[in-house]
Amino acid sequence: MSSKSIRVATDVGGTFTDLVCFETDLETGQSSVRTAKSDTTPPDFEKGVLNVLKKGDVDSSTVNFLAHGTTVVINALTERKGVRVGLITTEGFRDTLEIARGNRPDFFNLHYQKPEPFVPRYLRRELPGRMTYRGEERAPLDLAGLPAILDDFRKESVEAIAVCFLHSYANPAHEKAAVEEIQRLWPETAVVASHQITREWREYERTNTAVLSAYVQPVAERYLQRLSDGLKGDGYRGSMYVMQSNCGVDSLEAVSRIPITMVESGPASGFWGAAELGKLIGEPNVLALDIGGTTAKCSLIENGQVKIMTDYWIERDRTSAGYPIMVPVVDLVEIGNGGGSIAWVDDFGKLHVGPQSAGAVPGPAAYGKGGTEATATDANIWLGRINADYFCGGEVETDMDATRSAIEAVGEKLGTDADEAARGIVRIANNNMVNALKLVSLNRGFDPRDFTLVAFGGGGGMHAAALAHELGVKKVVIPAGAPVFSAWGMMMSDLRRDYFVTRLVDLNADGVGQLEAVFAETEALARDQFAAEHVDPAKVKFLRFGKFRYQNQEHTTEVLLEAGELTPERVAAIEADFHETYEREYTYRLDAPVEVVGIHLVASAEVGKLTMTREELGEADATSAQKATRKVDFALEGVHDAAIYNGDLLRPGMAFDGPAVVEDSGTTIVVHPGDKVTCDGYGNIHIEIRT
Amino acid sequence: MADLSNDPITLEIIQNSLQATADEMFAAMKKTSMSSIIYEVLDMGTGIMDADGELASSGAGIPAFIGVLDKAVKVFIAKYDKPGDIKPGDVFATNDPYYGGVTHLNDIVVGMPVFADGRIIAWTANIAHNSDVGGMAPGSLSGEATEIFQEGIRLPAIKIISEGEPIRSVMDIIKVNSRMPDVLEGDVWAAIASVRVGDRRLREIAAKYGAETFENAMTSFMDFGENVSRKALADLPKGTFELSEEQDDGRIFNVKITIGDDEFTVDLRDNPDQADNPVNTSRDGVMVACQMIFKSLTDAHSPANGGSFRPINLLTREGSVFHAREPAPIGFYYEIELRVYDIMWRCLAPHMPDRLAAGHFASVCGTFIGGIHPDTGRQYTIIEPQLGGWGASRESDGNSAVFCGFHGETYNCPAEINEARNGLYVDRMELNMEPGGEGKHTGGRGIVMDYRVRADNGFLTVGYTRSKFPAWAVDGGREGSPNYVEFRPHGGEPERFAFVSGLTTKRDDVIRVVTGNGGGLGDPKERDPDAVRKDVKNGLISPQRAKEVYGLEV
Repeated sequence: MSSKSIRVATDVGGTFTDLVCFETDLETGQSSVRTAKSDTTPPDFEKGVLNVLKKGDVDSSTVNFLAHGTTVVINALTERKGVRVGLITTEGFRDTLEIARGNRPDFFNLHYQKPEPFVPRYLRRELPGRMTYRGEERAPLDLAGLPAILDDFRKESVEAIAVCFLHSYANPAHEKAAVEEIQRLWPETAVVASHQITREWREYERTNTAVLSAYVQPVAERYLQRLSDGLKGDGYRGSMYVMQSNCGVDSLEAVSRIPITMVESGPASGFWGAAELGKLIGEPNVLALDIGGTTAKCSLIENGQVKIMTDYWIERDRTSAGYPIMVPVVDLVEIGNGGGSIAWVDDFGKLHVGPQSAGAVPGPAAYGKGGTEATATDANIWLGRINADYFCGGEVETDMDATRSAIEAVGEKLGTDADEAARGIVRIANNNMVNALKLVSLNRGFDPRDFTLVAFGGGGGMHAAALAHELGVKKVVIPAGAPVFSAWGMMMSDLRRDYFVTRLVDLNADGVGQLEAVFAETEALARDQFAAEHVDPAKVKFLRFGKFRYQNQEHTTEVLLEAGELTPERVAAIEADFHETYEREYTYRLDAPVEVVGIHLVASAEVGKLTMTREELGEADATSAQKATRKVDFALEGVHDAAIYNGDLLRPGMAFDGPAVVEDSGTTIVVHPGDKVTCDGYGNIHIEIRT
Repeated sequence: MADLSNDPITLEIIQNSLQATADEMFAAMKKTSMSSIIYEVLDMGTGIMDADGELASSGAGIPAFIGVLDKAVKVFIAKYDKPGDIKPGDVFATNDPYYGGVTHLNDIVVGMPVFADGRIIAWTANIAHNSDVGGMAPGSLSGEATEIFQEGIRLPAIKIISEGEPIRSVMDIIKVNSRMPDVLEGDVWAAIASVRVGDRRLREIAAKYGAETFENAMTSFMDFGENVSRKALADLPKGTFELSEEQDDGRIFNVKITIGDDEFTVDLRDNPDQADNPVNTSRDGVMVACQMIFKSLTDAHSPANGGSFRPINLLTREGSVFHAREPAPIGFYYEIELRVYDIMWRCLAPHMPDRLAAGHFASVCGTFIGGIHPDTGRQYTIIEPQLGGWGASRESDGNSAVFCGFHGETYNCPAEINEARNGLYVDRMELNMEPGGEGKHTGGRGIVMDYRVRADNGFLTVGYTRSKFPAWAVDGGREGSPNYVEFRPHGGEPERFAFVSGLTTKRDDVIRVVTGNGGGLGDPKERDPDAVRKDVKNGLISPQRAKEVYGLEV
């Protein structure tokens, strides 16, 4: 028997499939890490996963733990490659999916196009039966019409059925009965009811969630099956875990049934990784930033906790209402601003960066693959921030002429030279990201100066220090393996489920009694689900949150409840916690009755989570890692001779000051004049920002 | 550091921050308010003005509130014109259209000066619809009002917070005048939180870049807005266009629009005298309607600010329905604003068919339902605009079930929340299947929604327009269908209304809201047969009607 433990995480992204593999010697505790990247292989994404395992030299038969993140769900949604869905809903509400919420975000545009529902009207059918908001039956469910509906669905080649009835969050009995009958009458079809995914109110959001889950379910199940078969064929014998949008992993079986929960699987693991890294290095308050090729995403972590919400929408922006998906998703802000984002000048001489991206093909002008438009990456090369002689780790020869003409074209429209244009591009790109970071911090009542910026993804190191200067952040950390950090985060993840249940009660002795009952019921449900997956119920840990508001308000403030039974004696303390949290976010408190709208329960259990080992710190002198000096343009801070370090040669304990640039094959870290760098025992780079 | 006071990139960064700040103010208000009309319907707006009260940047929300805040702030500035009248930490409020409030008394505008380097560099402001501000009827709106005094408490551009300290007696007066005092207090504080968030953020920006750079950024942003408008104005067809249109209540409204090289003139002088019921609007309100249509015609996508509207020249006659004189009642001003908006649209549509579709249901369809929640015993008040059908355009069929042109990033109330919060049942909420809006391209569908009342002694107030004359069609399409409420008393005969005030409702009465389909475009016989077949399959029309109207056997 091997005395090694091998843990593997694979993450399928838009362009690349990433691998991180940790091998730990169980006797010495020494571990080694390997990373690899290979091309993503649409539409057979599992091939890319099997390829990257080979490329990373991983013998599947020796792997003890395997976690997987994938964009298969979001791709099926955005490319409209799901299956034909039939919807069954409450009498009088077949049009809910089409009526939606009626909003026109692009309100001056008289040619606004409302998003098309995923199920056309003729496949939206009704059954009589009503529940009240308190979960009492007002009219019994009448299933007499169901066989005819299913006949029609068969004729129309429906492959999956979604069921959503009014007030099923309060009492799912009618939905359960309908699903049972559908399964009896048509066992081959995929069927999902809204209560299986969410127990929160708002019928449009819940209906759309059930519909989108049904829409991707057969696609996701087939993919996961092929991947599982492929891994088994390579000799893998363990369980596979799939990364969820709530920063936890879940079992293959559970995800195959309700795949919609992995809609933001990639970003979630990166943010989870940032939270875990923060705990490891004693930085519990983290602003996490993931800069990729086409987008930047950010999230705020307070006291080691990621924030999970169920107000998630796809394709929603200033010009479209989008589609809601009411599942637990890490609270993130995403903007169309990455390394490949195109810089452009509008008719009025104003410079913009993104959201259009040059993508992988043609890519930035510097790739020399025919790209003629200047991207953020081109500006960074022009300013000497990216090493033109070591572009993409030396794998790509920089087409400097193409970069020059692309940047000059921007300068011409702005009436400036290429240097000014490149500085402008970098400053606008940075400003876009600063505004996104403000949305997750200042907009939620947090001061970014109290947080450490953890930046990862291919472009994280390039921009992080500049953003920190702008926001007043005192410290930046670029993690080891920043380009494959999402895969790293999966390795640190627990088996985790978030339960949101709507239950409206007043915050008083009677109300907390009712809350305790909802928590107890939901915890029992969670234990049962974990037990079905062979997790010892004793190992399941719970975190209880209440969703509070002042009477008459609508939006709630989530407050963590201390462990232990909710008793009438605790009402005052809970209320005080709410007032305090509320005032921090909104600047005032009210002397008004407080209500509880529902609960948020986090259930988690460790499944082979990795323990990191820390190396001893060595010499501070970093000259052995310095490979050159070159001129780097720091925009407003001017042009400086910067020391260039080889990231692969930096050792724990080494320290140096900016202006400097750290380069390795996957990323570039720009250190501004006056900033101080130290390398920690885990290979992370810490940048103390000049004040 | 180099002088950045006119550096274009720096100015642009500040302008982006202005936009982000207006959005942040919006989010703060939305999350803390207590009226569903604010937090769910988002009948509110936020904005940033320069020191003179010119609109520099506006948040999301509804287009009809974009041009309100600058007018209110200008009145604060004019009224508090002595040195020392305005100090850091002060907060002002107005809700009176005769004192810069533009709309009606339910809408309270809250404004706060932003100080840097010892001077005012900007104002942050916010407007929102409050559920009840007193007056003769619950919800403060009544078709019976004959003077503004009957429509609620009047706040004639007053100071409510002095150097950070609430002026207790003023706050008490505001609160005690409402039938829902706790809700009004909560919503006013939500508004204060919102302008304070904006103030803090703007001071940070000014501290970072300098007050002068900050001011330059605002000025250049408005100049940019003006340039965008003028460039687009040059592409509009030139000439004078006129329209007369009969209204549901028999009044004839007239509009004359002259589009020149640098000016967009709207002449509304030839119109009826102000009415002695609340179907009048202030001149400021009509200006907002002009701004909305002008912005849609010129550049719908770039942010709107004071500069965007500079080419507009508005002519009105004081004492007319479009320029009401104190103390005319103005409760239903929004329907009158919409009528102006719609006749301008209809007047120009034949001359710019690529820019303007057929008419939409074009009424806020404001619906006010109140009573006692049978489960909690607490008073509830529903105040909501309705969704309806939009007109067909040259490119496509109209949208079904979206808010009218007056509203924008506005959300309807889910049936599940309505039933829990207000203690009535929503028996149905579906698309309106009435005929209307047929054409080569069809108008979008309105909705049908049934409220079933669960307790006695409730009330119903509505004020809908386009109830007699539905959405207008273009190029041989068919006109849409009307907006109305059908009241179906338990065991009694249904009755149809467009305007009703304070009708008493009883248990098991059904209030059916029906909103119109949008107007059609082009001869129905020219509709793509596949589209007709799809309509039949989707149950939107019967095979019989398909044959009758579209001449197609399905």
